[in-house]
Amino acid sequence: MPTTDGGTSAGKRPLFAGLGPHGERPASPEAICLSPEALRRARDAAYRIVVVLHTTTSDWSKRQIAGIRAGLTEAGATIVDVIDCAYEAATQVEAIASVVKQKPDAVISIPFGGGAVSRAFKAVSAAGIKLILLDNAPSGLLPEADYVSVVSSDNFGLGQIAASLLSPHIPTGGSVGVVAYRIDFFATAQREIAFSKWMRRERPDIALTQVKFDTPARSGLVVGPYLDRHPNLDGLFVVWDEPAVEVAREISCRPRRLAMTTVDLGKAVADALIGGDIVKGVAAQRPFEQGHAAAIATVAALTGQPAPAWIVLPGLSVTTANVGEVYRSVGGEPASPALMAASNN
Amino acid sequence: MAVKSDLGQEASRALAKTPRDHATDRVRAFEAERQSLASILTIIRNGGPTTRLDIERNARLGRAVVVDRLETLANFGLIDDRDVGKSVGGRAPRLVRFRPEAGSVLVANMDRDTIGVGLAGLDGQLVLEHYEDIDAGMSGDALFQRLDALFSWSLDKSGSAQLWGVSLGLPGPVTSQLGDGIQLPDVYAMPDLYNARLLERLVERFEAPLWARSAVQVATKGEVGALTPEQSRDMLFVDLGTEISAGFLSEGRLHCGAQGIAGSIGHVYVGDAHTAICSCGNVGCLQAVAGCEAIAREGLRAAMEAQSRVLAETLHKTGAVTVADIGMATRFGDTFSADLLARSGRLIGAVLATLVNVLNPSIIVIGGELAQTGDICIAAIREGIYRHSQPLLTRDLSVVRSRLGRSSGLVGAAEVALDALFSTDILEGWITLGSPLAHPDVMRLLEDARRVVRGKPHDGRPIARSVPA
Repeated sequence: MPTTDGGTSAGKRPLFAGLGPHGERPASPEAICLSPEALRRARDAAYRIVVVLHTTTSDWSKRQIAGIRAGLTEAGATIVDVIDCAYEAATQVEAIASVVKQKPDAVISIPFGGGAVSRAFKAVSAAGIKLILLDNAPSGLLPEADYVSVVSSDNFGLGQIAASLLSPHIPTGGSVGVVAYRIDFFATAQREIAFSKWMRRERPDIALTQVKFDTPARSGLVVGPYLDRHPNLDGLFVVWDEPAVEVAREISCRPRRLAMTTVDLGKAVADALIGGDIVKGVAAQRPFEQGHAAAIATVAALTGQPAPAWIVLPGLSVTTANVGEVYRSVGGEPASPALMAASNN
Repeated sequence: MAVKSDLGQEASRALAKTPRDHATDRVRAFEAERQSLASILTIIRNGGPTTRLDIERNARLGRAVVVDRLETLANFGLIDDRDVGKSVGGRAPRLVRFRPEAGSVLVANMDRDTIGVGLAGLDGQLVLEHYEDIDAGMSGDALFQRLDALFSWSLDKSGSAQLWGVSLGLPGPVTSQLGDGIQLPDVYAMPDLYNARLLERLVERFEAPLWARSAVQVATKGEVGALTPEQSRDMLFVDLGTEISAGFLSEGRLHCGAQGIAGSIGHVYVGDAHTAICSCGNVGCLQAVAGCEAIAREGLRAAMEAQSRVLAETLHKTGAVTVADIGMATRFGDTFSADLLARSGRLIGAVLATLVNVLNPSIIVIGGELAQTGDICIAAIREGIYRHSQPLLTRDLSVVRSRLGRSSGLVGAAEVALDALFSTDILEGWITLGSPLAHPDVMRLLEDARRVVRGKPHDGRPIARSVPA
């Protein structure tokens, strides 16, 4: 007989671990259907899309943009501008204001920051421009009213994966530090919360502490004094790969080696993983697929098709055993011989 | 000459005052100061940035008094005058603004299997929010641990605004009197939370007053913000989640009921044809037939019996069938899913029609997971309402999906706390002290909570809590 877990699902636990920025249940990208008619209309309209990101230089961003471009090309739409905000909220606010003046058909963006950013993004939909968000919906922005969809990874699940990958490398009664992002950002907040929750439930013997950084480039400078204050740490979780690379560099200058896990399988972190010294596992996103899903959601919105408010892709658990294979699938480029060799061992 | 004799009489009267007279004068002056501070803060808080001249006019107070009170409020950090208004000839006036960042309120709203937590400023705007699944039937102790962790994370994430209160939406009956001031409500009808002393422990842990209502009541309050004043005056909010419940505003006032659990429409009997046993033990309750659990169960059965190819594929891929999956299946043209949602929607609509006939709302806002499945369910609910309601009552009736989603619960919880903190009675109790944490009733509440949590013997005074009806 079918049974339920007393909630809104029946059977085993659902595929995704986290809920959306306003508590939404996740939908997979397959939920967006573009009918042949909608595709035809989109190709006729030749929509113009602007992409605004916190950075365009990270591997994640490059793969996102590639996925967005691929999805838009299928529908005859083009990216007319890509803006890099260099992790500066003020730059982002200015960029959005200038984008509104450009009057593209849609904007795909990853907002970071709180109230001021929220106000800037409200102006996008107020100008009749469709807005699709990646990873973050700042407080104050509501689906349907202010944006169409948020397309993201299951960041709560990524935090759980990172915790489960780090746990075997932490001795009983050990201590772990969480290297968190100070800026108000939904995706990294979910990873922090999930990581800590997993540890409290599965490894209550582990003591958790936390340090925060403002920008990835300065994360190493923040972690150095933190490691001085906590000389007996056994492991670290860093909320994404860019600061993780800086933190790994800081750790490598010290005699005591810490185990580390992070999120995002960028090239530098993949190489560090097969090095085996510090990085022990990675919870990988699927940035190309995420970008593609964002593009399809954009075209759906422009052609009047329904799109879920919270579209999510599950994360991937990566160790040396599968790094080559995963890198090839999420990296958008062939894995290096070294990565493939590590996977085959 | 007459003036000299007046001055002489005045001086004589002053000299003739007894110490008691002087004390009475001081009390009156203190009362006047307290009332004027409260009045001015209320004007600024409710009216938006305003000039000193407008404050004098609205408060009907003289310039000297208003200047003095504004200085006091500014010293407390409750207002500032950084902004400048439009000049109407002469120097542009400074605009006095209420500072929502002067304090913060921790908020949470929970149903049987999800919890939302957040932090709001003193204007009720959410600064951050987070939602996660919880284990159904979570113990009171486990719930306290989780709230402690999430609240602590929220405070750490947001910065240094002083915590002024905690406000909860709970998954069950909460007994509180409207206007119950700074007292803990009773949750005796939720034995797990009551026995775990959840409310007292949260007060002791975060050293702030606490308010609580049922989850649907705070969500109803939260939905008001997304509507016009005319719409929200007589509004019905329906939460179609694991349980089906409703909140009702009549003439702008939230109806709570004798035990504070008005709106349990999930337990409305929907007829002998339905034999599903509800969690309450009765047969044929609406939520046992058309609630999310029932729908998910039907979807799982259809997947296992190959009645729905789409759901069967979902079950194969994920090992589960959720209400969201059933909604998604309708996008792929799955007729089983579409029919299931439509049948459930019509049944819900028929029950809501009864409420329409009785309560005559101007708008019905539909929230909860079932509402997020798409347009089929909402359309079917409308159909049920219009079919079974008196036509005059539906002529101008709007039936809409919630725009706030689960955020409405957190927004509403913030409203409950802020309504209390800035109500006239409570405001006048702390305004001369600068912070509600210095209010005598708050300090007594904290002391009582510490006593309960730390197991110290009671001193015989009644613990500050409302008495169950």
